[in-house]
Amino acid sequence: MKGCWERMKKIWKNIGLMVGILILTFGIGLFLNDALQGNALIPSVFVLGVFLISVFTDGFVYGIIAAIVSMLAVNYAFTFPYFRINFTIPENLVSGVIMIAITLITCFLTSQLKRQEQLRLESEREKMRANLLRAVSHDLRTPLTTIYGSSSAMLDQNHEFTEAQKRKMLLGIQQDAQWLHRMVENLLSITRLDDENVKIIKTETALDELIDSVLVKFHKRYQEQEIEVEIPDELVMIPMDAILIEQVIINLLENAVQHAEGMNKIWLRVFIISDKAIFEVRDNGNGIPKEQLRTIFSEGIGLSVCATIIKAHGGDITAENAKDRGAIFRFTLDIEELGQEDESV
Amino acid sequence: MNRYKILVIEDEVHINNLLKTLMEANGYQAISGYSCEEGRMLYSSYRPDLVILDLGLPDKDGITFLAMLRKESGIPVIVLSARSDERDKVEALNLGANDYVTKPFGSAELVARVRSALRTNSHRSEDGKVPGGNFHSGNLRIDYDARQVWIGEAEVRLTQTEYNIVALLSEHAGKMLTYSFIIREIWGYNDAGSTKKLQVNMANIRKKLGAQPGKKNYIINELGVGYRMSEGE
Repeated sequence: MKGCWERMKKIWKNIGLMVGILILTFGIGLFLNDALQGNALIPSVFVLGVFLISVFTDGFVYGIIAAIVSMLAVNYAFTFPYFRINFTIPENLVSGVIMIAITLITCFLTSQLKRQEQLRLESEREKMRANLLRAVSHDLRTPLTTIYGSSSAMLDQNHEFTEAQKRKMLLGIQQDAQWLHRMVENLLSITRLDDENVKIIKTETALDELIDSVLVKFHKRYQEQEIEVEIPDELVMIPMDAILIEQVIINLLENAVQHAEGMNKIWLRVFIISDKAIFEVRDNGNGIPKEQLRTIFSEGIGLSVCATIIKAHGGDITAENAKDRGAIFRFTLDIEELGQEDESV
Repeated sequence: MNRYKILVIEDEVHINNLLKTLMEANGYQAISGYSCEEGRMLYSSYRPDLVILDLGLPDKDGITFLAMLRKESGIPVIVLSARSDERDKVEALNLGANDYVTKPFGSAELVARVRSALRTNSHRSEDGKVPGGNFHSGNLRIDYDARQVWIGEAEVRLTQTEYNIVALLSEHAGKMLTYSFIIREIWGYNDAGSTKKLQVNMANIRKKLGAQPGKKNYIINELGVGYRMSEGE
């Protein structure tokens, strides 16, 4: 449905461009004809118009239509015999052929250019993926070192450690394994979205159930970190892939715990403004360094996953520093009008 | 001592070892199977009291095993699954699995689920049907005869539907009930708007029971799967 609509929009845009430029060209032609008696310039003006249309529209169709229309216009209005279509005069025929030729060549070149641009984008994406893989593999080594090192130490020299030392090593293993688990979850989310053809499946989710689930999972990892929650009192249903959005919120909370220096408070708020739900995670730490603000969503895995997921939902995600203190992350989701018929219970 | 027998069906050797050790450390007798086929053999020769079943087995899907098992017996089954397949979880629960544990899991969580599944099985939700039956979980009390719900000394005013849902959850306390199971039990039919209807009722119930997001609540919600009444140990 949406794809069809997008296509229609594109077609209308192309048609608009074509008609607009043609009218402009025609106007300039009339002006030149009247004011300057620059009759000889008119075909060049039309050639320029056709050229511009070929450059800025998609494919060959619009360029060719524009070329034919221009040819007829020049023939009809601006060349002898005036206000009559006449192909017997070789001049007119030749200018028409030239115009079609220019259109074809321009369209060919622009589509070539567009294809190259696409290739460049693809290779860039490929590069990003490779970078990500490199970063992940690098990141994986640290926890694996803890896990492997601690477990082999305990196996090999079990009796040489005190109970407290063993406990400490086991805790290290547990924490680093949990870290690995989170990393894997994030990577899974990325692959779930990676394929552009895979549309996320949105189901209506009760906001308070989502927040409840987020908090339960978050507190499993960070028992001591309190979170101040503020959500609307009434039941709000938001269409989303709940597992992915849950991950976004957990990542944002986790980001605050790990990166907001001097933070001792985190707020999680959700407001509804007209047909949008705005989720906000705010802390009272030192905020995000200025030079990082622009690139923050492409730096760590956690935040780049957030951006990918929100984008796939058709929402926006932003990061900024609060005026007084701390960082604010916000993202929006659409709330579609719900069917009223099953509201009654 | 007559120990409960637990059959562990999991093809990953390390996880299988871990599960077996964990069960033995908690006073159960554990038997390990590494495939669907082996599981079936062990099941018929040992007649275990509970099965821990991995969904991703090499020969056949764990779901197939579950379906096979449910044809002949109602013994408690706890399913192990990965996070990303909520649909598998729901399918397993709808096929009669008692519970599921998501990998990776903490030992405390798994042991609690095993205990709860064995307990639920021994008194099979009869409380709601016998006269004078009462349900307790923390401060929550349900008087099945009077169809009343209390928190401490205060009665919670529920609508008929809300009461039916709370009672249903309590009769299966500790067990994860899927949306479609609850809907079928409460309304008898399942159509497009049913899940929404259930969620609206649940939102009201939560409010009336004074639930707060992220806190220990009487009814635990599992996104995209269903609800569970906590047993309130």
